[in-house]
Amino acid sequence: MIRLSFTDRYKITRLRALMTNIFSLAAGLVVISIIFLIAGVNPLFAIAEIFQGSFGSMYGFKETITKAIPLILIGAGLTLAFRAKFWNIGAEGQLLMGAIFSTWTGLAFGNTLPSFVIIPLMFAAGFLGGALWGIIPAILKIRYAINEVISTLMLNYICAHILTMLIVGPWKGASRFGFPGTDNLPEASILSVIPGSRIHYVTLILAIACAAILTLVIYRTRFGYEARVVGENPDAGKYAGINFFKTTLILMAVSGGLAGLAGVGEVAGIHHYLSYPASVSSGYGFTAIIVAWLAKLNPLYTIFSGIFFAGILVGGDAIQISLGLPAATVEIVNGTLLIFLIMGDYFLHNKINVTFSRA
Amino acid sequence: MKKWTLFMLIFSLVLLGFSAGAFGAEDKKIKAGFIYVGPVGDYGWSHAHDLGRKQAEETFDWLETVYVESVAESDSDRIIDRLIQQQKCDVVFTTSFGFMDPTIKAGKRYPDKLFMHCSGFKRSDNVGTYFGDLYQMYYLNGIMAGALTKTNKIGYVAAFPIPELIRHIDAYALGIKAANPEAKVHVKWIYAWYGPDKAREAAESLIAEGCDTLAFTEDTPAVIEVGQSHTEKGKQIYTFSHYSAMQPYGEDSVVSGQLMDWGGMYVKILDDIHTGNWTNEDVWWLAKEGAAILGGNETDPINPKFVDDLKQAMIQTEAFGKISAYDLVMKRYDQMKQGVDVFDPFTGPVYDSKGTLQIKAGERASKDDLLSIMYYVDNVEGTIPQ
Repeated sequence: MIRLSFTDRYKITRLRALMTNIFSLAAGLVVISIIFLIAGVNPLFAIAEIFQGSFGSMYGFKETITKAIPLILIGAGLTLAFRAKFWNIGAEGQLLMGAIFSTWTGLAFGNTLPSFVIIPLMFAAGFLGGALWGIIPAILKIRYAINEVISTLMLNYICAHILTMLIVGPWKGASRFGFPGTDNLPEASILSVIPGSRIHYVTLILAIACAAILTLVIYRTRFGYEARVVGENPDAGKYAGINFFKTTLILMAVSGGLAGLAGVGEVAGIHHYLSYPASVSSGYGFTAIIVAWLAKLNPLYTIFSGIFFAGILVGGDAIQISLGLPAATVEIVNGTLLIFLIMGDYFLHNKINVTFSRA
Repeated sequence: MKKWTLFMLIFSLVLLGFSAGAFGAEDKKIKAGFIYVGPVGDYGWSHAHDLGRKQAEETFDWLETVYVESVAESDSDRIIDRLIQQQKCDVVFTTSFGFMDPTIKAGKRYPDKLFMHCSGFKRSDNVGTYFGDLYQMYYLNGIMAGALTKTNKIGYVAAFPIPELIRHIDAYALGIKAANPEAKVHVKWIYAWYGPDKAREAAESLIAEGCDTLAFTEDTPAVIEVGQSHTEKGKQIYTFSHYSAMQPYGEDSVVSGQLMDWGGMYVKILDDIHTGNWTNEDVWWLAKEGAAILGGNETDPINPKFVDDLKQAMIQTEAFGKISAYDLVMKRYDQMKQGVDVFDPFTGPVYDSKGTLQIKAGERASKDDLLSIMYYVDNVEGTIPQ
């Protein structure tokens, strides 16, 4: 008889974490290969196409970096919230609120102010928008004990509908010929890109800087320590005199604010106008949850996990174009990889003992 | 050891990726990329374009095609780049109005490639436009709708308030007016090309408001399914199929419809490119060129179930005197096939819903007028959302 028992691992080494991720990924790829086989496509060729489409060509790599920008920004912000065990599922809405605030700023002042004034202003507005949308569930949780998973998730939908209302109604641009969407942002408020790519480098630099600064904050400052205590040992925190309300407010303002910055990047760097929620963000707020998780809640590592996930998203194009499989296959592949990475996390934190014995 | 095995595995995968790319080199054939806004199985717009693509590919042995479905407007830049840079396409067809600006921008990025944008109005040296318009078929559908309606309330489920849709609603309304001056058109906007749930909701609410006849612009048979289910429950709802042969989804409800054949147009455009005769001039095809076809399926212009009703509905007309709705439809269809100078729905006098004379008596709206039309004719209720 085979008996399985599970015990907690005390110590998780970096090597073990890395190897777990790689093995989970490999296991996911095996399952995906079976899906490809069923679809009548050589799995090795298919997987090679995906990775070549995202990392193996200059064109693909540029696109991967473009998509990594919002994932790094949001992912880094989420690590802070998750460390305090504040389950912020609302980054998508916080991104959209940032996009709304910055679009308004750009449309209102972009024609009168020079670039070097309007762009910082738009980032500030975007941060403010995301932060406000992040603070709401923080207040609800601390003051009224409302579960933040529910409130942050629901606020996503509310924000998406506010955005839709704006672009179908009062903000609909005259240049859209009846299509929902604002007019294009004025030239001064558009982020410049690295020539020959769509990489809006200002946001990229901002993303890397934010990830680095947050790492210092989490590991080197009193606030970072307090945030960790709030999450890991709230009772001890109370005795130590940590102000839960203040700490949670700040960390959600930062987490939401960074998602808001991602929204600024998408609007001012990619789309240049505000359109449907699904066009502004292709689910970055949700993908970033996995990005943060894969980075083991270390903001610095979100740079790598963000690029990795962006690669999977971009490589998905290849599934459709080169292999001629339906668009839905992309989502099956991405979903399968995510499930395996999350499952791998369980094995990282729990040791599984297999004992053989004769019954 | 394990680490090294794994490393080698990943390394070999990456190598494989590069080698797969190297085999992609092609000879001097023409490769055309198609970008669709919806899934090819949507049974509407994208489905019709894909049938056209397949027809062109079968016609020419020098042609290779590749397509990408369900492309969001915001992703179109990236997909165009990929089709050009990775797939080495010589020409890219972008088949949605929303791809207009990205297509023009792509034309600047790749001056030695050709782009064809469907349904737009912006052109440049290497960006042309093409469109097959169905407004004539909507007019014919309108004659039938006007003749069949019992409540004199006729519904239209519409995607976006852009000139194309306004033109179709107006043509439909003008046809209704020709058969039944009492009937009014009620429009519901759903703000989606592909939105079966929204279309269903809009159709239900139009029926609840008393409409017994529905036409639509949306890429699924959702409206027809609503019509069919009401008809099966004993309340006859007349519907008109849109873009593809949707009659099988509502044999008791679909009277007729509009079909688009993109195949001929794609064959012509690609042949022009191949022979070097391509220009960026707008390709605009109607009934005369065989692009716009009347019917809810490929065989019957009018569902046989409703032919008798239409033959009995008599209409007083200026052109033909007293004539049945059926004969009027067939006569007008025949004239349309001869060309817009023989008969066109947008022939004055046409008044808009505010009472302003938009097309003078005896005059015909020009193509430019039709492409920018933004007023309801006088038997459409409500106003165009701004």
